[in-house]
Amino acid sequence: MGKPEVKGTVTSLSSMFPPEEVQKAAKMVEGKLSEKQNEMNQLKEFIADNASLINLVQKLPDELHHDIMVPFGKAAFFPGRLIHTNEFLVLLGESYYADRTAKQTVEILKRRGKSLVSKVDALKAGIQDLKAEASFFDSTASEVAEDLVEIREYEEDNSTERASQSGPVELESPSVAEADNKVSSSEDDEYARLMSRLEELEKEELAAEDDGENDEDEDANANAAETETETDGDEDELTEAAFHRKKDEGYSSLDHGQRSLESQPRKQLQQSKGKDPMNEEMPTKYNHQGLTNQLACTGLTAEPVTKGEISHSRIIHQDTKMLNPPVNASVRSEKARSKQNVHDSSRNEKPVQTPKSEFDSSKAFTGSIIEHTENLEKKLPEQKTTSSQSSDSKPSKPVSRFKMQRK
Amino acid sequence: MSSSSTALRELQRDLENKANDLSKLQKDIAKNHQVRKKYTIQLGENELVLKELDLLNDDANVYKLIGPVLVKQDLAEANANVRKRIEYISAELKRLDGSLQDLEEKQHSKREAILKVQQRIQSHQAGKAKE
Repeated sequence: MGKPEVKGTVTSLSSMFPPEEVQKAAKMVEGKLSEKQNEMNQLKEFIADNASLINLVQKLPDELHHDIMVPFGKAAFFPGRLIHTNEFLVLLGESYYADRTAKQTVEILKRRGKSLVSKVDALKAGIQDLKAEASFFDSTASEVAEDLVEIREYEEDNSTERASQSGPVELESPSVAEADNKVSSSEDDEYARLMSRLEELEKEELAAEDDGENDEDEDANANAAETETETDGDEDELTEAAFHRKKDEGYSSLDHGQRSLESQPRKQLQQSKGKDPMNEEMPTKYNHQGLTNQLACTGLTAEPVTKGEISHSRIIHQDTKMLNPPVNASVRSEKARSKQNVHDSSRNEKPVQTPKSEFDSSKAFTGSIIEHTENLEKKLPEQKTTSSQSSDSKPSKPVSRFKMQRK
Repeated sequence: MSSSSTALRELQRDLENKANDLSKLQKDIAKNHQVRKKYTIQLGENELVLKELDLLNDDANVYKLIGPVLVKQDLAEANANVRKRIEYISAELKRLDGSLQDLEEKQHSKREAILKVQQRIQSHQAGKAKE
């Protein structure tokens, strides 16, 4: 299987949206907004005048003639009479006038009023759009000020793009805590985005229901990769990994199914990020895990796996401590639900080729750290969940373990 | 060296000319926009008048304000006049649209030419700096 090539670009937002230009754009939008507000005010005045005129026109024919003070020139009045009180010369527009009765005039005025109201509504919609633009510009300005970085990753197999934003990029290798803390700040935004992505992924999942076991393998890989990346302190991957884990944990409090679904994008991300660092770092840091990998790939004993698991789980617990308290709570809840995660993961089916190491949050934290290469044919993910349950369990056969767990 | 400096000056003059042309074009485009706006408003008003005229009874009196004079008009005549005016305005709008497109294209090509001249100037200056 060819490894899916992962290309990534990291662009600082300040380079994409230079701050001065963002401010300029914000000012322009503000200018337009104020223009529209003025127009709106004017139209509202017109509507008010129209209403008062309708009142007057309705009152005039009450009397045969009215006694009034007639304006004469610039600064004079003289007493006079208003006669023919039911005859109105109405301006139709474009210097055209028509003789109409009071009733007909009122009708004309009412029609004019309607058109004014519709204009006002259209203006309101335009103002709303401008406001949205302005808020977008404001947020980008603040983001640019915070030096946020946009990270895009491309997976060639699926030719899907996954863009994500991480916390501020640090020049030195950030500790997991730092990364997590900063990631948490942008978490809320990410949640909203990810939720919208869930639906897309759901469809994908349903479409790829045949690769449940492969997914579990990928889960193990993702988990291993994630922990490795985090501990290694690889900036982007760390922050993203931590970020994604946070996402996972956050979501774990939601539906199980959702979690499994969400794990997909993360899997993809994880795979893209995780595989490479994993392959790089494994020999250096976790030699025993490398062993585990090979053994796992060959479907042998789980002892090295358990070792790896223990070490990983330790790391994971460290991470969890550093993460937010709610995350920890979710981790524990995840453990309780690991079984169901297995259920869900079995639904997560993807083509073997696609580098989507599904990352089930629960699985990640239940210590199922079976490192697998991209060889997804091996079905060892079950070992993850089962091993989380009982550290002594030996993965004789992934399938059997899985069944055992279900019981 | 002097030859290059004169070439440089020529290029700069060229750039100035082109910049002037561009600003002229932009003014034309702005004017075009304004006129278009006016015509659009007038068109809207005329359509409103037509609607009202249709609602009138046949024997209603219609007057037209010509300067300080309010002239009585026939309803049919008024209708015809208003329709003609609407047609005229729409034709004008179309014409303006075409000329606007034209102007924008010219502006675009001018901008490109300016860019080229600028690039040449830059290369000249780079060459000069090397010397």
